[in-house]
Amino acid sequence: MEPITTEIVVLGAGPGGYTAAFYAADRGKKVVLVEQSARLGGVCLNVGCIPSKALLHATEIIREMKDSAARGIELGTPQINLDRLRSWKDSILEKLGQGIKTLGEKRNVQLIQGRGHFEDSQTLRVETKEGQQFIKYDKAIIAVGSKPAMPSAFDLGNRRVMTSSEALDVPEVPENLLVIGGGYIGMELGTVYATLGSSVVVLEALPSILTGVDADLARPVMRYAQKNFKEVRVNTKVTKMATVGKQIKVTMQIDKESRDELYDRVLVSVGRVPNYVDIGLDNTRITKDDKGFIKTNAQQQTEDPNIYAIGDINGGTLLAHRASREGRIAVDAILGEPSAFENIVVPAVVYTDPEIAWCGLTESEAKQKNIEIKVAKFLWGASGRALTLDRPDGLTKLIIEPESERMLGVGIVGHGAGELISEGVLAVEMGATARDLAESVHPHPTLSETLMEAAESFYGTATHTLSARRSSPDAK
Amino acid sequence: MDVKLPQLAENVEGGVIVNILVKEGQEVKKDQPILELETQKAVGSIPAPASGVVSKIYVKEGMEVSVGQLLISIGNDGAAAAAPTQSATAPAQAPALSPMPAPAPPERRDHAPAAFDSYRHESKSGAAPPAAPSLRKLSRDLGIDLTRVRGSESGGRIVLEDIRAYIERLQQLAFQGGAPLQAPMAAPAAPVARPSEAPDFSKWGPVRREKMTALRRTVSQRMAESWTAIPKIDQFDDVDITDLLALRKKHAPAYEKKDARLTITTFLIKAIAAALKKHPKANASIDEAAQEIVLKDYCHIGVAVDTEAGLIVPVLRNVDQKNLLDISLELAQLSDKARQRKISLEELQGGTFTISNQGSIGGSHFTPIIYAPQVAILGVGQGSQKPVVVDGKIAIRTLLPLCLSYDHRVLDGADAVRFLKDILANLLSFSDADVKLK
Repeated sequence: MEPITTEIVVLGAGPGGYTAAFYAADRGKKVVLVEQSARLGGVCLNVGCIPSKALLHATEIIREMKDSAARGIELGTPQINLDRLRSWKDSILEKLGQGIKTLGEKRNVQLIQGRGHFEDSQTLRVETKEGQQFIKYDKAIIAVGSKPAMPSAFDLGNRRVMTSSEALDVPEVPENLLVIGGGYIGMELGTVYATLGSSVVVLEALPSILTGVDADLARPVMRYAQKNFKEVRVNTKVTKMATVGKQIKVTMQIDKESRDELYDRVLVSVGRVPNYVDIGLDNTRITKDDKGFIKTNAQQQTEDPNIYAIGDINGGTLLAHRASREGRIAVDAILGEPSAFENIVVPAVVYTDPEIAWCGLTESEAKQKNIEIKVAKFLWGASGRALTLDRPDGLTKLIIEPESERMLGVGIVGHGAGELISEGVLAVEMGATARDLAESVHPHPTLSETLMEAAESFYGTATHTLSARRSSPDAK
Repeated sequence: MDVKLPQLAENVEGGVIVNILVKEGQEVKKDQPILELETQKAVGSIPAPASGVVSKIYVKEGMEVSVGQLLISIGNDGAAAAAPTQSATAPAQAPALSPMPAPAPPERRDHAPAAFDSYRHESKSGAAPPAAPSLRKLSRDLGIDLTRVRGSESGGRIVLEDIRAYIERLQQLAFQGGAPLQAPMAAPAAPVARPSEAPDFSKWGPVRREKMTALRRTVSQRMAESWTAIPKIDQFDDVDITDLLALRKKHAPAYEKKDARLTITTFLIKAIAAALKKHPKANASIDEAAQEIVLKDYCHIGVAVDTEAGLIVPVLRNVDQKNLLDISLELAQLSDKARQRKISLEELQGGTFTISNQGSIGGSHFTPIIYAPQVAILGVGQGSQKPVVVDGKIAIRTLLPLCLSYDHRVLDGADAVRFLKDILANLLSFSDADVKLK
């Protein structure tokens, strides 16, 4: 095959890669997008964000059906047709994947399916079905993402030991499921399987689930898990796994005591690792950190001046929306425009039940870094909208800089927190003060009011809560 | 009493606070140093204008401050410390500092209140200046440092109007020709184009960046001004210092007993001082505005000293009236002070001629840049042994390479060569009696 010459080649068509490729094409660059999978969209679309949210939506309906009886609506026991659920989910992925492909084609982005390998700082070799395709480029953007970690001790070669990628395919609803790792992926998928009918046990090596999340935001999720999972065991480590008939024997260590248990399936969700086996980084000047993630500067440029890297492959917080933003910054930098990933607020959402979302500075981070802050809270028990949704288990809190009253961060736990957080992102990005938020009229009755009321409570004037000052004896 | 940054010296409009030497509530005596300030020229301490108790400190280490800016408040007694707000807001009773309290900024900075020059966004939480993402992009595109822009909205939030006002003020300053030393985009004294942007060096390999110190910025600015403004001629010559070295060797131990170092520079200062007396134009300055040549009846010679922080030029006063011993002692003292950054601003000012002696390091002839507003400078290289014709025979002599660089607006070629010839003659004429200590 004739070598292709292009201005920019993007390796990996996940949300970071395709955003970068499309943006570069919109800015008039000749772009080649290389992806090894048949369907574009990367982990996010195929084995991450999108399928998990489809499943969580389905499971939310099941939960609503169960809870409806108490509200006077009897819906009976839900009948689950796994094949139909799976094909509905897959149809979404197919539609979105096709959409990305069309968007690329319309922009004249050349799509090449195959595995990329760097020959040197200016050449990428792609192994396609038709043979080797060499691409000569001016600049490359690596966006190959990450994959679930599978420690070799757990890798029995048994399909009953799954990572999130396999679990999202829902091969079956096992009678009992062990989730190793109480991070957000373990908790999200644990919720899916528990709602579908599995008896779920979550093991976490650390003293609490959802490490890094503020304790008050994690608490409602913990309460949900205690009620709906069989058990959540913290301070517990899995030491060994073995196949025993159609089950997996799991040896775990709890308080120095060893215990064996049998499970039908095991989900290993102990983190994610960089997603390259061999893409020829040794043929470039790229350097990696001790965890194998690529090192870049604020312009996303690697140690090799011709090569940029974005998204999960750089480590940090592994989030699709961060990757997309980094993709745009890399393209700006290639175009020679001033751009940098600095002071950018990246929100995070955990799709548990209830959802947790935060942006900017968190309370625990402030404590860790010894930053003086004030926290304003609003409990959803006082929100009319939360009660009509039968979801009073929520909390909205603002992290505020004391002198300037500027909002440095927002944290929310509760139904639809992921949708609510964007107002917080805008407020923090705009440098808004708590006063700005308090004085912006929010529609009633909505969950978004909780942000306004939290801001009002900072000034001791929230309508639906009594501040310490107001509840003093004098005021009675 | 409010203590404001006094006018320290001519053309010094501010500096960076290196050290705060007092604490709130601490008792201070009049003239006790309260803080150390790094200016364009040196590090100096600011003395307390009166005795009392420090009731409030308004500045921080590392902060850039300008003349007239409030530094600290000193109360008359312990009671004042207990009520800091009162004493801080009370009008200053007495002039804050002795030489020039400078309550009003110099006239050309009417539009730039002191606070503008030194404003720096500060957040205890370390957050960047509050501004919308669109404005952050704009400021990045324009090369505006948002930490310098004072936000007008609640919480100090910066809006488009604030950036516009900031740019307008920078322009005003640039057009008035007055350069507040901290404003990054304001033009230097001579209207020059905005510095061109450096290429992205990291494209070719790893780089590190260092902030230019105030001293570096001053040297860089003054050298560029001199280079572009002065029509300069470089006149080379060599002088046979074989006999002078012998004289030096003979007498150096005696000088050392008096803690003085007899060096070639010592002889040069003395030789030049005598030559300057004979050639007053080499000891002059040009006053372009008045279209006059300013001839000075005094003779102060600056000696360039290589310090860790950079080039510093202390000035030896009235060298024409001093003997070799005095000059040696004074030179050693000033060089030490310069290296320890303890030199005062006065000791750096008022030079009429400069010597740049690189002999101790190496190199032959080089062409120094004139230290304006002076009109001439002598660049001295390293002496080395050369075959020289003496009385029709080849002899090995030590020659010292010299270069007199001069301002052709004031000195013509013939003047300059005569002046240089006299310096050479003076160097050769040192006699044993001249050098011998009494």
